[in-house]
Amino acid sequence: MKRSHIIAIVIIAIAIGALVGSLSDSSTYADLKQAMENPGKEFHVVGTLDRSQEVIYEPGMNASLTTFTMVDLEGRSCRVHLAKAKPQDLERSERLVLIGKANERGEFEATDMLMKCPSKYNEENRITG
Amino acid sequence: MIEYVGEHIWAGRLGHLFTILSVVGAALSTIGYFLGASRRDIHWERLGRLGFRVHSVAVLGIVVTLFTMLFKHWFEYDYVWKHSNLEMPLRYIASCFWEGQEGSFLLWTFWHAVLGNIFIWRAGRVNGPFREWEAPVMTVVALVQVFLACMLLGIYIGDLRLGSSPFLLIRELPENLGLPWTRMPGYLNAIPQFADGRGLNPLLQNYWMVIHPPTLFLGFAATLIPFAFVIASLWRGDRRGWIAPALPWAFFGVMVLGTGILMGGAWAYEALSFGGFWAWDPVENASLVPWLTLVGAAHLMIVNKRKETSIFSLYLLTLLTFILILYSTFLTRSGVLGDTSVHSFTGDGMLPALVRFLLIFIGISVAMLIADKGQRRFYAIISACLMVVGVALNVDVPAILLFIAISIGMLISTYRRDYSGQSEEESLRSREFWLFIGSLVLLLSAVQITFSTSVPVFNLLLEPFDTFFGWIGERTGSAFFKDLADTDLAPPAEAVAHYNKWQVPFAFIVSLLVAMTQYLRWKDSDMGKFRRQIGLSFLIAVLLTALGVYLLRFKFVELDLIALFFATTFAAVANAMYIGKVLNGNLRNAGASIAHVGFALVLLGALISTGRRTEVSRNSKGMDLRFLSEGFSNSTDILLYKGDTVRMGDHYVSFRNKRKEGVNVYFDMDYFAVEPQRYGMGDTVHVGDMLFTAKDAHTASATFLADQPAHWQALERFPRRALWYAREWTATRPGAPTFRLQPFIQVNPRFGNVAEPSTKHWLHRDLYTHVRYADQTIGPDSIDDAWMPDRTYNKQVGDTIITPTSMVIIDSVYTVQDSATKRMLGERYTVHAAKLRVRDLYRPDRWFDARPLLIYAGTEPVAGKSAEVPPLRIRYGLASVDGEKIDLNIAESEFLVLQALAFPGINILWVGCVLLFLGTFLAVVQRIRGGKPRDRNAIGP
Repeated sequence: MKRSHIIAIVIIAIAIGALVGSLSDSSTYADLKQAMENPGKEFHVVGTLDRSQEVIYEPGMNASLTTFTMVDLEGRSCRVHLAKAKPQDLERSERLVLIGKANERGEFEATDMLMKCPSKYNEENRITG
Repeated sequence: MIEYVGEHIWAGRLGHLFTILSVVGAALSTIGYFLGASRRDIHWERLGRLGFRVHSVAVLGIVVTLFTMLFKHWFEYDYVWKHSNLEMPLRYIASCFWEGQEGSFLLWTFWHAVLGNIFIWRAGRVNGPFREWEAPVMTVVALVQVFLACMLLGIYIGDLRLGSSPFLLIRELPENLGLPWTRMPGYLNAIPQFADGRGLNPLLQNYWMVIHPPTLFLGFAATLIPFAFVIASLWRGDRRGWIAPALPWAFFGVMVLGTGILMGGAWAYEALSFGGFWAWDPVENASLVPWLTLVGAAHLMIVNKRKETSIFSLYLLTLLTFILILYSTFLTRSGVLGDTSVHSFTGDGMLPALVRFLLIFIGISVAMLIADKGQRRFYAIISACLMVVGVALNVDVPAILLFIAISIGMLISTYRRDYSGQSEEESLRSREFWLFIGSLVLLLSAVQITFSTSVPVFNLLLEPFDTFFGWIGERTGSAFFKDLADTDLAPPAEAVAHYNKWQVPFAFIVSLLVAMTQYLRWKDSDMGKFRRQIGLSFLIAVLLTALGVYLLRFKFVELDLIALFFATTFAAVANAMYIGKVLNGNLRNAGASIAHVGFALVLLGALISTGRRTEVSRNSKGMDLRFLSEGFSNSTDILLYKGDTVRMGDHYVSFRNKRKEGVNVYFDMDYFAVEPQRYGMGDTVHVGDMLFTAKDAHTASATFLADQPAHWQALERFPRRALWYAREWTATRPGAPTFRLQPFIQVNPRFGNVAEPSTKHWLHRDLYTHVRYADQTIGPDSIDDAWMPDRTYNKQVGDTIITPTSMVIIDSVYTVQDSATKRMLGERYTVHAAKLRVRDLYRPDRWFDARPLLIYAGTEPVAGKSAEVPPLRIRYGLASVDGEKIDLNIAESEFLVLQALAFPGINILWVGCVLLFLGTFLAVVQRIRGGKPRDRNAIGP
């Protein structure tokens, strides 16, 4: 067997390994129902902040814990513990992506959160007059 | 026809005219150069050159027009209104220019035009060595320009929206068409919103934002020339003649794109609160991947310049680099990243146009690689058919997948027929063999990053098959297919860990190759000599690694990091010694070695600073997060009360003051050295539940137990109150003030507030701090009352209130009746008081009393006196009293929440960046000079 063939086989094997490995690392988007049915499994959950419920951030107790209620795209809501200081302008956010898992008590424990705030591209671009 | 007042219509018209002219010029240039190249006719070529000049002037015209509009604040234009405002400092006008979709496309187009002209200038010299390459290369450049210039047209072809124009008036926007105000001649003055623009995102108001995008886009643009050279080479059937002229461009691209990426990292580190310089964000990845393939391509160029060995890989990598640039544009501009990235553009309906742009260039690349004319024609026809079918029948995704499958199939078949076979086996002891392997590893690294970043694209590609997979799942009962139909893939939850897991081994192999390959000779090497030359470097690297492992306390489980530490040190040392030993210190030829040292140091610095990043700001107070969830790490943030001085890592830190400057609220944080605590005779401290008095004056040692027998006397009997008020024993105290950091929050009601970090730099490490949470309100006249905003509780006697530090029981409410008060205030006033019992939440045996007062004049409260409990940092005030019901205002002492990170060795990274830049710069210069260094052994970065 020629050396180039060996190299090709090794390279292809590593490539396939990397791709399969990457795929198995990837998380999945889910709604709260799915997350609640699989407590302990990591999900990305997309939703919005429930503004009618209190956002609790008490740095005096713990500076890295924010608790609030989110509503997923299906309309189901759930209490969320986010292990982060309260992000600037959480109240203004229009879309949240929470990364974490549900616990047995029916709460969502998020280790990270992406937040989309209304930005110049979609906010009040309309002129009314 | 309505005569509008105050509009500067001519500017928009001029801009549109320039845009159309730039498209026409580029198209003319493409045709001219194409015919010039295929008929070898100098007249057509001249037309091509003329066309490109016209195009360039037009692009310059667009740029000047847009800048003028921004400078003059003509807010009737959508782009100006959306991206700038009156109060913004002038120096950020440039940032406004490329903040939007249109502006950044324009910037990219502009750089292509500049590089195209430089290329024409260099190639076009009469009897110049690269004369014959001008026409074919410029055909490709001009064709790309046609596409890019179209992206500024903002026209519709059927349903397909082709880009968007920066010269649209707001009243011309599709969503505003027909609205009543657009028919008001004086609308600009009548509607207040037009008086000022919306301003620039505060994140982008930063000097890095002025230099980072143009550098990055210049790097993007630089990949076009090697791409065009490859197409030209395949077109002309000249496999190796293009390499010499393309080499300086390739290394120029490596230099500029690399600098652009690192500038992005520096910006993130300096100005963003990501907590680092690299976060494996999709947008960052999208710019890193083409750099990796470009580096691989550039090295293969050096190999193939000497002898044709792996020309197919070279073609593939060079073509792929430019395609990946297009792909990254597609990822970041089409909105496909959506929820996965913090800083991508939203779509604006650009997706279809960008996909076609990308696919057309994939098609061109693959078609050109197919050597057989008949097959090439077959492939071109099939691809065109697929595109038509996909668009016409609205089955885009299957058509695209089929197209990709056919492309891959054709590539494999053409490789087997036309590219493999003629090359002989390379020696394992040859430089070219290992350069080839290195390029493949870079490609693998690029593939892995691209794959993980493309997760949202897979969802898009799988979506049309969801029903199909679901159907198979139903029929076969296979859970796999059901999952495939249901799931929506998300990027890895632990993105940084995921990428590191794969990229650390790749970086390890590449670093080892960087260390050794230069010492190998072309074709075959004397291994004895190789070992003698590299042995010392190896030994030094081993010693440095051992030292590093000891100093940085690497553990055995971090074997991958230790291995990378060794490989990067080895690469840095070996290349540094190469300059001295082999090149005899001749710096003119040392570009490659210097760049390699820089590359190795960047990796080493990244490894140390991120691998040994420590969170200095640990919160020792309050609740442990791990009680709540095992997945949570304990606090990374520290709570600082104003005026308090708290130990944080190697310093004491104190939150002194906050002040407002413009839109920024600054927080003055003073840092003090740590020195041993001194106690005087008779000082009383508490340790646990016991009280001690000092027997003599002494300096504290590290632990109380060591000091206690000699210096402290336990108190047998003491009142509980004494325990509450006694200081806790500490080993250290704040010493001399050392420095001050001023993190700030930019208050921006439109885009949201932005916290900007403040970093203290030392030679060996950085202390990076930013404010996570603070009270940003500052009273009138900037008077700061040192309390957080009040919270009002509506309660009655007997109720309990829990605050973060205390439990409050409302014991009673009464009217102050004593005669002294009555005499002083008069009959009209009544004084109410609330008796509060306050309990420390964290030391439940501690009780305090608080009596806030409120004075009523009849039924109106006129003045009050709040009660403070200093040990609990809390203040109680009465807001109203109504029988048993009261409104109680509770405020905490002013505090902020700070995150502080220590980045050791980050300066290694910055030094590496500078060396990487300088080294590639020297390599470019050397390649322009003709790339013939004196020492034959020294060829090749």
